[in-house]
Amino acid sequence: MSHLLLSMTVNGEAVQVAAPAHHTLLEVLRYKLDLIGTKQGCDKGDCGACTVQIDGVPQLSCLTLAVHAVGRAVTTVEGLGQQAGGCHPLQDAFDRWNAAQCGFCTPGILLSAEALLRRCAGREPTRLQVCEALAGNLCRCTGYTKIIDAVLDVGRQMAVAAAASAGEVAHAE
Amino acid sequence: MLRLPQFQVESPDTVEGVVAALQRHAGARVIAGGTDILPNLKHFLDTPPVLVSLARVTALRGLQRDDAAGLLRIGAGVTLTQIAEDAQVRALFPSLAHAAGIVASPVIRNMGTLGGNVNLDTRCRYVNQSEFWRGSIGGGCLKSEGNVCHVVPKGRNCVAAMSSDNVPVLISLDANIVLVGPEGRRVLPLADYFHADGVAHTLARPGEVTVELQLPLPAGPRRARYTKWSVRRSIDFPLLSVALRFDLAADSPHAEVLAAKVVVGVLGAKPRVVTRLDEALGKPLSDPAVARIVSEATHAQCKPLDNVPYEAAYRREMLRVYTRRGVEAMVAEG
Amino acid sequence: MPSEDRERDWQLGKVHRKVDAMERMRGVARYTDDLKLPGMLHAKILRSPHAHARIRGIDLAPALALPGVFAAVTGQDFKIPYGIIPWTPDENALAVDKVCHVGDGVVAIAAIDEDTANAACKAVIVDYEPLRAFFDPEEALAVRDREGTINPYSRKGNVSKHVLLEFGEVDAELAASDLVIEGDYEFGGTTHGAIEPHCAVALVEPSGILTVWSATQVSHYLHRELAKVLELPPHRIRVIQPPLGGAFGGKSEPFDLEFCVAKLAMKTGRPVKLLYTREEVFYAHRGRHPMKMKYRTGFTRDGKIKAVDARTILDGGAYSSFGLVTTYYSGQLLCAPYAFGTYRFDSTRAYTNKPACGPKRGHGSVQPRFAMEIQLDKAAVALGIDPIDLRRRNDIGANTQTINEFRVGSNGFLECLARVEAASGWRERRAKLGYGRGLGVAGSTYISGTNYPIYPNDMPQAGVQICLDRSGRARVFSGANDIGQGSNTMLAVITSEELGLPIEDIRVLSADTDLCPVDLGAYSSRITLMVGNACLDAASKLRRKVCESVAKRWKVPRDRVVLAGRMAIDREDPDRHVDSAQAFQWAEADHGLLGEVGSYNTPKDRHGEYRGGTIGASPAYSFTAHLAEVEVDVETGIVDVKKIWIAHDCGKALSKRIVEGQIEGSTYMGFGEALMEEHGVDPEHRGAHAGPSLLDYRMPTFLDTPELAAMIVEAPDANGPYGAKEAGEGPLHSSIPAIANAIYDAVGIRLDRIPFSPPRVLAALAERRRRELAGELSPHKPGPDHARRSA
Repeated sequence: MSHLLLSMTVNGEAVQVAAPAHHTLLEVLRYKLDLIGTKQGCDKGDCGACTVQIDGVPQLSCLTLAVHAVGRAVTTVEGLGQQAGGCHPLQDAFDRWNAAQCGFCTPGILLSAEALLRRCAGREPTRLQVCEALAGNLCRCTGYTKIIDAVLDVGRQMAVAAAASAGEVAHAE
Repeated sequence: MLRLPQFQVESPDTVEGVVAALQRHAGARVIAGGTDILPNLKHFLDTPPVLVSLARVTALRGLQRDDAAGLLRIGAGVTLTQIAEDAQVRALFPSLAHAAGIVASPVIRNMGTLGGNVNLDTRCRYVNQSEFWRGSIGGGCLKSEGNVCHVVPKGRNCVAAMSSDNVPVLISLDANIVLVGPEGRRVLPLADYFHADGVAHTLARPGEVTVELQLPLPAGPRRARYTKWSVRRSIDFPLLSVALRFDLAADSPHAEVLAAKVVVGVLGAKPRVVTRLDEALGKPLSDPAVARIVSEATHAQCKPLDNVPYEAAYRREMLRVYTRRGVEAMVAEG
Repeated sequence: MPSEDRERDWQLGKVHRKVDAMERMRGVARYTDDLKLPGMLHAKILRSPHAHARIRGIDLAPALALPGVFAAVTGQDFKIPYGIIPWTPDENALAVDKVCHVGDGVVAIAAIDEDTANAACKAVIVDYEPLRAFFDPEEALAVRDREGTINPYSRKGNVSKHVLLEFGEVDAELAASDLVIEGDYEFGGTTHGAIEPHCAVALVEPSGILTVWSATQVSHYLHRELAKVLELPPHRIRVIQPPLGGAFGGKSEPFDLEFCVAKLAMKTGRPVKLLYTREEVFYAHRGRHPMKMKYRTGFTRDGKIKAVDARTILDGGAYSSFGLVTTYYSGQLLCAPYAFGTYRFDSTRAYTNKPACGPKRGHGSVQPRFAMEIQLDKAAVALGIDPIDLRRRNDIGANTQTINEFRVGSNGFLECLARVEAASGWRERRAKLGYGRGLGVAGSTYISGTNYPIYPNDMPQAGVQICLDRSGRARVFSGANDIGQGSNTMLAVITSEELGLPIEDIRVLSADTDLCPVDLGAYSSRITLMVGNACLDAASKLRRKVCESVAKRWKVPRDRVVLAGRMAIDREDPDRHVDSAQAFQWAEADHGLLGEVGSYNTPKDRHGEYRGGTIGASPAYSFTAHLAEVEVDVETGIVDVKKIWIAHDCGKALSKRIVEGQIEGSTYMGFGEALMEEHGVDPEHRGAHAGPSLLDYRMPTFLDTPELAAMIVEAPDANGPYGAKEAGEGPLHSSIPAIANAIYDAVGIRLDRIPFSPPRVLAALAERRRRELAGELSPHKPGPDHARRSA
């Protein structure tokens, strides 16, 4: 089985990894790069546990060939905290809200949620927007309630921070 | 985990490169977003030696209005999320933006492309299962490794269902599909692209790749809508799928209907264009008779099969309800 | 076991960060499939495509000849049968002579990678002789001959278990009742759907010790069964449960993969991993038993329950699993929160050629609760009594005994009813909701652990060991399985409460059979009460030692010293305090290394004095009320659940949001069962699974799940730690009948079969309309809505 040498950026670092052409990004992340935070739940795109961001967009790593990540920037849950200097506000909010029970779906949900908040750009998302953005990620433990609470909590904080900094800008002007 | 069969991947930069690669490798398949083909390959429904990837073909990612040709051109590689969010699509073709925005799940829409969705393989409860599972029912069916049909006993023609959300809408909007193959480029009405064989349900020739969908710009006032039913509101295929389009004499739901088009999916392998809607013409869209005529014709002409979950009889009855409600909703929205 | 001499509630009932959540959210927690050992092989299991067949021969040679294949095992390597219930060892790790359902394991192969193992499985030649398969439990029960007997170890044909118990003169009381409601109910199969698939890894250490890492919720029982089947002394086996990705009962017994990785590791001398595909998880199953239930309930004119008569057929699948207990639970757990005048249940579990059923959240009692709560709703309508009032009138109360002689301690059921009634606006809104909208209520109860362990013994049910460190830390060792429900955090909260340490100063090491005391595992909602009590026992002993040493140095009585906020404080002179590390050092100087063990055993006066009277008895019972609001689309049959209010009596919430999360998660799971989940096989297609994937087995997504309003009710129980009872399973039960009853309130149809799928709702509406036209029924909620919507 011949291997390809694949170059991509993972969590901000340039990596080269050898893998056969029929391997998915999920396998390469988990078993070659030891980025075990990305989970495998259903084998084929039905659960969202394997969600990562590719060039900032949430995608299913179980349905992405590793070769398709070549030259692109992949962000996994390990990278989410790094971006924020250790712990992302979403991770902190999920912890405060007990939004992770078994935690197996959580990495994928965090990556979907982060993309939503980035798109909101300081506007507070509605409950429906949160549900729509996370509707590709199944959670079997929580009944979703605490997850929604946690995401809305961060959305509110970001909206407050955005309003405050807009106020400062206005003031400075 | 569920394993993929072994294959090689080629990633050309151009459409010509894709066509050449498909010619070079007998049995090769095209992969775009991967959300349809990879589950099917994990199920060993095919074992192509080579996948030809469209990932690097940037020419397929355009979405532009061509006023000279009177068309909106959507590259086959544009993702469903992009279509759902695109301002032009939302303004000119709201039923398409809506349909693209409720396919499967957000993550799948971020990956899946319009070209991929138009070419979505037909689906059946007896097909889209693992190789092991198909063995447990006695060795597959017409569309996999067997030679029987589990939906229509003694049937010799595969009735797996065309399950794309976008295809009925695109047909209702008179879309054309542009294919490029070894013999060059051809454009054909999407309505003529499908035929009633679930094993090979499109007229794409070997080595051809879908490069573009063309939507004629609206010539006058109209209302269009897509309505579907799936058990869940996400991570599900449609079990019922109806696209509606009414051309109107003026930009009002009370204006008279000049033309009506209804296209239904998730029946057999081919989407069905409902005929004999003439009775609705000339009546105001808001006349309840229009909704009744259209929904009765749909119900009479469309016969769902037990190829997807939930009773065919129920889904047939619901075609009437969903079609009527689709018209009523257009009226209510003004 | 309250401990009186301490500063109360400085941690209890607060909101806590879980001790082990952040590592999961940062992606560094190692679940079983995240383990990677040098030289590790990967195994796959070849499974039966037949629902019932004899194995005439297996040819492994073509598989073993493939490069990269290391070893194969078959049923011949595992001839000792096992079973989670010691009385019913009726399955083998791999099929020995016959296969009993599609997906039964036949051969396991270890290879260099999964692709090679799969290729090897394909190369194996198995010669099957297909046998007649049974998919209907009643058909299976009718067969008496050996040929038609599904389970190879069964001695009673296809009867897996039969229980008949009667309390009082049921027939006489039914005859004397003012109203008898008769109903037939059908609960379809559902499964757990934990997002993490089962996975196990085995390694033979250089010392010869066999280590098995497994995504299990019962390390101890797995440990015992491994020893039995592999014929190894238990002390030569170590079982470790890594962080677990959900279980819900689906990982509460040994599965083929654990035996296979162990044996293959022993054969090859290399570590071996086996990860189920999602499809295999569906074949492993052990989900909720489909039940057909026939109920007759007798009432007085004022709504008192005089008699309950239940006949139940349980569809067990091919193996017993916990089935003996399930069969009892199908009757035994129904006797609260309502007082029954008399009661009889007759339950029969059948073997069928399907994946085995077992315990799913609310084991055995979710199905009868569904029937019972609809029976009550029907009676309320017939008697013209408000459904909540009818339930109040039958409340069994606190400190009492059920008809089947179980002792009930605390009981917050009335408050649960009052809370959902008030929060939903039941009194004001219910009558005003037009046709198509409705409110429905239901109540339930559940055990806080089963009073007797699975294998009879007189040892404690739970043990915890705690060590204090001179740095000011506590280490808690517990065999309990944290499956995401938060039991590690529960232990930290209790230790924190007792020893005055913040949660982050407490390390919890759990579910490693080499390092932790035995615990029976995460099932029957036992951990908070049982392991919590054991933890409280150990922690309070340590607290007394620490307080004593501090008091000695301050020359004050011991009870003046309290531990809180990482300090020892003089209660009467709060300015006098030392930090915890200093206090621990004084205590270590006085007592030597600070370690204590705590144990818990159940009180033995909770059960009935009859055969089977111990099964279902518990030290304490939780209570729940659900109130659902629905809108029914009468044209499509689609039920839209708008909101569910849930009030749950957990005795005492040790950690507020974790308890709410259990209430919400349980209610969600019931909601999914009510509306969309279906686990079954297709009898028309040789018993193939109806759709073994998370696409075809539809679990509700973010967009499907209604708003859930969880309310905590606290009726502290003398048997619980600080009064705590369970919260993880009870709040599933009444979620389902509350929705059914709300549908009735909305449109006047009874859905006596789950799931309430649109075609079923539509069929019931058509039937109602037919009866209305025939003059047998008057219109339900007549009014403008009705006329418009049912036109």
